[in-house]
Formats: sequence, structure tokens, C-alpha cells
Amino acid sequence: MVERAKMATDDIPLDDKAKRMRDLLSSFYYPYHGSSPKAHSNYENLDSINSASFNPEHYMNLLVQKSNLEELLRKHVEMAAEIKNLDTDLQMLVYENYNKFISATDAIKWMKSNIVGMEANMEQLLDKIMSVQSRSDRVNTSLFEKREHIEKLHRTRNLLRKVQFIYDLPARLAKCVKSEAYADAVKFYIGAMPIFKAYGDSSFQDCKRASEDAIIIILKNLQGKLFSDSESIQARAEAAVLLKQLDFPVDSLQAKLLEKLEQSLGDLQLKTNEIENVLRESNDPSKQGKGFDSVPGIGHEVSVHGFAEAIRAYRVIFPDSESQLIKLAQNLVIKHFEMTGQRVKRRISSTNFLGALRAIWDDVLLMDGVLSEAALSNFSLEVAHATVKKYVASTFTYLLQDISDALLKVKVSPKEAAEEHPLQAALEASKKTVLQGSMDVLLDFRQLLDEKLGLLVKLRAFIIDWVQEGFQDFFRSLDGCFLLLSGRKNSSSQDQGFSEGALGEKVLAGLVLVLAQLSVFIEQTAIPRISEEIAASFSSGGARGHEHGHVFISGEICQLFKLGGEKLLHHYINIRTRRVSTLLRKRFTTPNWVKHKEPREVHMFVDLFLQELKAVDSEVKQILPEGLLRKHQRSDSNGSTNSSRSNALLDDKMSRSNTQKARSQLLETHLAKLFKQKIEIFTKVEYTQESVETTIVKLCLKSLQEYVRLQTFNRSGFQQIQLDIHFLRTLLKENIEAEEAIDFLLDEVIVAASERCLDPIPLEPPILDKLVQVKLSKSKEHNLVKPPDVGR
Amino acid sequence: MQGGSSGIGYGLKYQARCISDVKADTDHTSFITGTLSLREENEVHLIRLSSGGTELICEGLFSHPNEIWDLASCPFDQRIFSTVFSTGESYGAAIWQIPELYGQLNSPQLERIASLDAHVAKINCVLWWPSGRHDKLLSIDDENLFLWTLDCSKKAAQVQSKESSGMLHYLSGGAWDPHDMNAVATTCESSVQFWDLRTMKKTNAIERAHIRNANYDMKKSHILVTAEDESGIHIWDLRKPKSPVKELPGHTHWTWAVTCNPEYDGLILSAGTDSTVNLWQAPISAEDKATSESITEPLNQQADPLLNSYSDYEDSVYGLAWSSREPWIFASLSYDGRVRTFCNSGSQKKHRYIALNH
Repeated sequence: MVERAKMATDDIPLDDKAKRMRDLLSSFYYPYHGSSPKAHSNYENLDSINSASFNPEHYMNLLVQKSNLEELLRKHVEMAAEIKNLDTDLQMLVYENYNKFISATDAIKWMKSNIVGMEANMEQLLDKIMSVQSRSDRVNTSLFEKREHIEKLHRTRNLLRKVQFIYDLPARLAKCVKSEAYADAVKFYIGAMPIFKAYGDSSFQDCKRASEDAIIIILKNLQGKLFSDSESIQARAEAAVLLKQLDFPVDSLQAKLLEKLEQSLGDLQLKTNEIENVLRESNDPSKQGKGFDSVPGIGHEVSVHGFAEAIRAYRVIFPDSESQLIKLAQNLVIKHFEMTGQRVKRRISSTNFLGALRAIWDDVLLMDGVLSEAALSNFSLEVAHATVKKYVASTFTYLLQDISDALLKVKVSPKEAAEEHPLQAALEASKKTVLQGSMDVLLDFRQLLDEKLGLLVKLRAFIIDWVQEGFQDFFRSLDGCFLLLSGRKNSSSQDQGFSEGALGEKVLAGLVLVLAQLSVFIEQTAIPRISEEIAASFSSGGARGHEHGHVFISGEICQLFKLGGEKLLHHYINIRTRRVSTLLRKRFTTPNWVKHKEPREVHMFVDLFLQELKAVDSEVKQILPEGLLRKHQRSDSNGSTNSSRSNALLDDKMSRSNTQKARSQLLETHLAKLFKQKIEIFTKVEYTQESVETTIVKLCLKSLQEYVRLQTFNRSGFQQIQLDIHFLRTLLKENIEAEEAIDFLLDEVIVAASERCLDPIPLEPPILDKLVQVKLSKSKEHNLVKPPDVGR
Repeated sequence: MQGGSSGIGYGLKYQARCISDVKADTDHTSFITGTLSLREENEVHLIRLSSGGTELICEGLFSHPNEIWDLASCPFDQRIFSTVFSTGESYGAAIWQIPELYGQLNSPQLERIASLDAHVAKINCVLWWPSGRHDKLLSIDDENLFLWTLDCSKKAAQVQSKESSGMLHYLSGGAWDPHDMNAVATTCESSVQFWDLRTMKKTNAIERAHIRNANYDMKKSHILVTAEDESGIHIWDLRKPKSPVKELPGHTHWTWAVTCNPEYDGLILSAGTDSTVNLWQAPISAEDKATSESITEPLNQQADPLLNSYSDYEDSVYGLAWSSREPWIFASLSYDGRVRTFCNSGSQKKHRYIALNH
């Protein structure tokens, strides 16, 4: 080993020396780790001196073989020096260890000598500790009782304090009640609650009762507070919270409160009813200006404000009451609108309606602010939808009623001849009603549209539609109304139909004429103006657009009234001719014409006929405009083609007449003339005085002709007819602007009579003239005494 | 076929009021008509539409003793017809037979089979049952309704029963229900009355003033068409006599006569004193009951019921008859004595009617 170390010292450079040393030493101290794997790897070679598998033989051989002498020598010197070093190191170590060993032995020796006295000291210490312990135990036991006592006393004191509190509770509660410090009172009471629960039945019975009494008072007061409207909401909310703390059945309370709210709602409605009354009064034109926004409105506002406040409060008080509140609020809105709806059923001006809507909308907004969950604005929009629609509809209904009222005035007072031109007045009145009424209605709706109210703005498109639709329907029903008024009865129930004839007679003929002219007016003036107006202000975007066809189509209405007017005009003519026809029928069916006596004077039926014509004349002059120049009209109705064709007919007739030798020449020419004019007999009726009058005369004369053709006359009968017609012709020429067709028809009556006469010998013209003169002077006398009966 | 809108004409010598379809003549389309002349010799014309349908041929011309106010052809014997005539002061009615060999005779005389001479008042018309052989005849005067039993072979007519129309009811005419040989409608001033011929009692009435003419629908029972002076044409369902099922505007002046087409129901002819003949299409269907509605309906939704208006007449048209052999042909007679037949065939039109009706 030494040798090995020597060699190592020789071999390894100096700075490695210390490390090797330490390794070695440590391997010495820790034998198990002596050969570290590192050492192995480092010194694997057999020739490394420090490795465990060092083979001196091999090393020597290798060394001798490799090195020369000089090297060997140097190696030798190196080794020797290393060995020396190692030896001294070893010596040093041994010394050190030894020294340590000696000092340890010294210490042990010293300790041994010191320990001997210590045991006694320890004994002493133990004793002392024991005594201290016993003493403290004694003190403890002696003090224990007292301490116990003190603790008991303390507890009793606490109990006493509590008892005192409970005994004081009623008084304190009373005090609280007095000072209205309910919150404290409730706190106290709730604090005392467990005790009352435990001992309430025995020791503290009185106390409990007293404090319960107090609490009942508190409860009452709290409820009162809750219900009183004068209290602030916060106070009421607090009261509610306290009540809840007191286990008071809040739900029932809530129900009660809501009931109360509903009641107040009823009051509110009562109030609005009053408002409504005021409103109605303010409908009078004199008070119109004041309208809705004045005093009653404020009262209404206040009460709704109160309601809104209440809602807010209740929401604070009862967070779970929302749904009921929503219901209430919606009810309120519905009631409001119902009321408005009812009001709308009566007549109401648009300002009033707007006022009402505005008020409701204000209310809604107010409530919406408080109760946004209810979506009241949407809700009210829906309800308002219906109401506004109703309003539009009822406005039109009233307009219709106005018009029919204006028209019916004629019917009610036909006898009031004091008024000179009742029909004209009625026509003017109804014209005015139609136009002005429609304009007013439009103006009203304009107001609705112009209103900036949120509600109406949203409904704008609908309103436009409704207005257009409304006008369409209005004019349709107006047409129906006209038909009804005219007694045509077509639109009314069918089973009345059989009495139509009778009813038709009752309908004033003049009214029919008024209706006819009014239809023309509507077609030509009113509708264009209305459609213009509509186009100006109601055209912008209806909700449904035009393709639905519900909107106002002026063309269709115009057509309707055009046809209606024509129908009415014909109906008028029909009514008038029917009266004459009855007259004529009586005249011709009653006498035995074959045994007629010689004519002495003009028969009275001519007078009656003329009277009827006079009545027509007066009616027509009131209503219809004068026609254009007759000449012009004539050239209109009688075109050149017609006349040429009639000529052809005439020729045909003439040629055929040659074979009919029996016919007199006079008769033939009369017939020819008639055929020439035949086309003109029934021309299209126009809305002029002359056209209507001549049409009636022509129809009557045609009837006369037909009646004559059904009879057989003797000579006198024929002469009577001749006389009557002659007179009629004279008077017709005076009164009615004679149209040739009338002349020819008169001729034709005579021709018919002569054809139906067994012995057609006419009266001599002088005799005719004489008789006619007699009649004329007679009727003049008559007229002087009594003016002609124009009315009927 | 020729004729078109102006029709085929035939001139009578004198004025005339009545024309009748010779229903029993199944080989030809013929009409019979009589003149109305107070002072001249009156004639009865038997007219036949030529086989080509291009002209009207006079098949027979017979003199008739008085002016003819009503004429009706017997529906089961083409040679028999009835007339109502007047001398100016008195009235009479008779059944006539056309002599068998009239072609060979120079001036053939009509053979009077029977005189219906029980009347005292003005006779208005004689009715045959339109649907076939029936030995009964009806004659209507101003006040009475007579039911006659006619025996052609014995050439005798006897009054079987008679009933007064009642006070203040002046009868003006009538129509025999083609569906019921015991039912007759008579018109008077203020109503249409319905009679049961077995009992000769009134069964029903339509209260309506001034009905000029009435005609039963040949195809549909219970349907009666009436013409009124001023208020046009009404179509009635006799089961609901309170109000008409349909109204047609009629004519500018009186509507004198109406007649229903024997084949196509709803096809109605009317003649008026405004010298026109109107052809109407007015089908009565189940959904069409509510007249009032259809009238108030917008016009564009309803087809115009007036199919055609023949206005090419020179005087009032009183006579009107459909041909039962060729139901698209009708004859009209205006007061000036002109017979005109019109053919609506132009097969398109015919088919249109058929299509409309079926």
C-alpha cells in the first residue's frame, strides 16, 4: 500500500495530489465506499498504481520494457519522494487521532466526578415542586365555592335583566307605539318571542298578553299605515316589511290591498265618467274650445298619478304582486278604451276623441314608467287599434245618418208649402251635408294623423287604411241608403217585396229626384274632391297596400253612383208615369166607349194629367238644371244614319200601303210621320229639366195611345178623344217646350182612336176650337179663384 | 241560316195582335196569326217557315168574320185553333177547324167547330192545355172563368164549370200550367190568382198590380214569369209567392208579353210597346234565390241578363211565340201587321244556351 501510494505520488502531478489524498483518506474512513466506481473507471489499467487491481509485476515489466534507464531512474526518484510524503502523512493522521482520543478520555473523567452531587439536588427540587402543587390545590378548593357563587349570581343577573326586559316590554312597546318607533317595537317583540314561546303560558302570561296587545295595536297601526294613502311610500313599505316580520299573513294583506287598488281604480273610472260628462257637455259647440284639457283633465291626471304611485309602491312592498298589478293596469287601460269606445258610439268630435286618446296615452305612459313589465304601451296599442277603428266606422255611420236625415226632412214635412222650394232646399242641404260632412270627416282624420301621439303614430298606417276603406264602404252604403229611400227596396229584406208597389207610391217622388241629382253631384263633385283630399293626406303607405283592394277606389264608386243616379232618375220617371197611367186606365176602362155620348167639353182627366205634369214641372225645376239648347240636343239624339233609315222605312211603308187601299191617306201620312220619329220617342234621359219632363210626357202619351188601342169607339167616343187631345196639345205647347215627338205622339193617339173607331168622323175644327176655348176660359177662371195645386 | 238580326219578315194586310205557334205540326215550323181590323174583312194566316228557313210562306189564308183579339193553336191538332173576336160592340169566342182540302179550294172557309158562347162580358182569351191532348178548354172573360169540354168529333163544346173571379177583380188573361192540367193562373188588375180546376176555387194569389201577361216555365214547375206595365218582368217561384225570385228590367214602356222557351229554361222572350223584343237569360238556380243580393251586387259580377234586343220594329209588339219544333226560333208580331221570325240558332248561340242551362 505504501508502495502504491509512493508510486502514485511519483506518477500524478502535484495539484492532483491533495485530491488523491482526500480520496484515500475518505476511503479509509468509509471503507465500503473505498473503491468508488469512479476510481474503477479511472484506474482500470493494470498499470495504474492507485487502482485495486494493480499488478506490480505487470507494472514493472511494462515500465522496464518501455523506459530507458534515465527514465527509470527518474521514476525511481519520484517514487521514493512520494513514498516519503505518504509516510509523513500517515504519521500525521495517527497523531491527530490519538490526540482526540486522549481529550475524550479526559472529558469523561471530568464528567464522572461532577455527576455525583447532582442527584441530591434533583431530589430537593422534586420535593419543592410537590409542595407548591399541594399548596395551589388547596387555594383552588378554597376559592371554588366563591367562584361558583359568583357565576350563579351573574347568571341570575342576566336572567333578571331579561325578565326585566320582558316585564318592561309592554310599556316599552307602548312607548314605541306612542313614538311610532314601530321598527324598534317589532325588534323588541321578536327578541322576546322565544321566551314567550317557552314560558308564555305560565309565568309571563300577563306580560305576554300585554305585549301581545301592544303588538296587536302595532299591527293595526302598521296596517293602517300600510293602507293609508297619506303615508309616504317608504313608510308604507317599511310597515309592510315589519308586518311580514311579525308573521302577519301578508298575502291576504296583499290581496286586500290590491282589492283596494281595484276599488280606487273604480273610483278613478267614476271620475273619468264625470270627465266624460263634462266632455259631452263640452261637445256643445259653444263650449267646444275648452275641450278636454281643462279642469276635468287635471283631476283625471291626478288620480292616474295616484294610481301610478300606488303601483310603484306596491311593487316595492310586494315584489311578487307584479302579475296582478299588470292585470290591474291592463284592466284600467281596457276600461279606458271601453269608455272611449262607448263615447265613440255617440257622436264625438275628433278633438274630443283625440283628447281622450291623449289622456289615455298619458296614463299609459305613466303606468308604463312604473310597470314596464306590463308592456302597457303595446297592450294599449292593441286595444286602441279596435277603438280607433270603431271611431272611424262610427264617424262614417254618423255621416251617413246626417245625409239621410237631411234627405228625410223633405219626407217629414212635404206639406210645408210655406217654404217655397222644399226639394231644392233639401237638395242643397244634402249636397252640403255630403260634401261638408265628408270634408269634416277627412279633417277629423287628418287631425288623427297629424297628432304626434305615440299611440296614433303607430296606428298611422292602419288609420289610413281604415279611412280609405271607410269611404269606400260609406259610399257603398250610401248608395244602398239611396235605394232604400227611393223605395226600390232591393237592399232590404225580401219578404217585404210584395208590398213594394204600395210602398213605392208612398215614397215621395220628389225625394227620388233629389236622390238622383244628389247621386250625380256625388259622382261629379264630391268624389273627385274627396279622392283628391285622400290622395293629398291619406295616400302615404297604407298598411296593407293597394293590392288588397280594400282601399278607396274613386272610379268604382263613381260608376256606382252614376248607375245609381240613372236608376233613380228612371225610378222617378217611373213613379210619375205610373200615377198618370193609373189615371188613364181609369179613364179608359170605365166608360162604355161604344155608347159614348157626344162630346160637350174636355174631359177632366186632361186636367188631372196636366196637374200631374205641373207637379213634375215644379219638382224638376227645383232640382235639375236647365238643359242645353234644344236644337243641339236634337241633333245629338237624331243622327243622320237614323233619319236615312227612317226614310227607308217610310218608303217601304208607302210601297206596302199601295196594296192596302182601305187605309185613308191621312192615316197613312200620320203613320209615316210616326215611324220617322219612332226612334226618337225613347231617347236617353238626361239630367235636365226638359229631358225628364219630355220623357215623362212621352211615356204618358204612349200609354194613352196604348189604352186607346185597346178600346173600340163610336163616333162620339172618337170625337171626345179628339177634343181631349186637341186641348192637351194646346196646353202642352204652352207649358212644355214642345218636342216634335210629343206632337207626333198626340197625332198617333188620334190615329189610334180613329183606327179603333167604328165610324171615324172627326169634329169640325171650328167646333173643336170653340170647345177648347170654353175649357180654357173656364180653367182660367178656376185658376183665378184657386191657384193650381202644385204640390201633389 | 239567313235572317240574322233583322229576321225573316211577313206582312199581314191589317193590324194584328196575336200569333201562335202551331205546336201540333211536327213536320214544319208553322205559326198562325189573325188580323185586327175593325172595319175590314179579317183574315187568319197560316204561315210556314220554308224548309231552308230562309222565308216565311203563307200556307193558308182564311177569312174570319170579326177582328181577332186572341188566337191559340190547338196543341194536339194542327188544324184546330181558337179565336176571341169582337164586332166592336160584342165579343165572341170560337173553335175553328181548317178545312182539310184547303189547298184545292178557291176561298176556303174555316169550319166553326164550336162557339164558346156562354160569355156575357168582354172575353179576353181562350187557353189550351199546352202539354198535350186534353179535352178541356178554358176561356176567360172580364169577370168569369169557364171550363169547357170540347168534343171535336161531335163538334160541340159544353160548359163544364164556371167561376166568377169575384167582385172588383177584372180578369185580363191567364196561363195554364203545363205541368199540372188542373192548375191555372189568371191575371187581374191587382193580382195573379191561381185556380184549381177540379174545385174551381182559388188556391193562391200573388198580390201585384197591373200584370199584363203571365207564362209558365215549360221545363220547371212552379216557375211563373209575369210582365207588368211599369216594373218589368218578374220571375216567381209559386211556392214562395211573396216576392219574385228574379227581376228583369223589361222595356222602356209597357212590357206586353212574356213567353218562356219550351226547351231551354231560363230563356225568356218579352215584347213591349216600345217596339222591341228582348231576349233574356235568367236561369233560376238554387244559389240564385236571393234576388235582392244579386241586384245589389256590383254589376261586373253579374252577367247582363239581356242577351239580345230586337228593336227593328215599327210599332208596338203584341204577339210573340216560340216555335216548339225548333225552339231556337221565335215569331213576333207588331201592331202594324208584320210577322217576323228570328233564329237564334247560328249554332254557336244555341250551344251557348245549352251550355248555360246544363
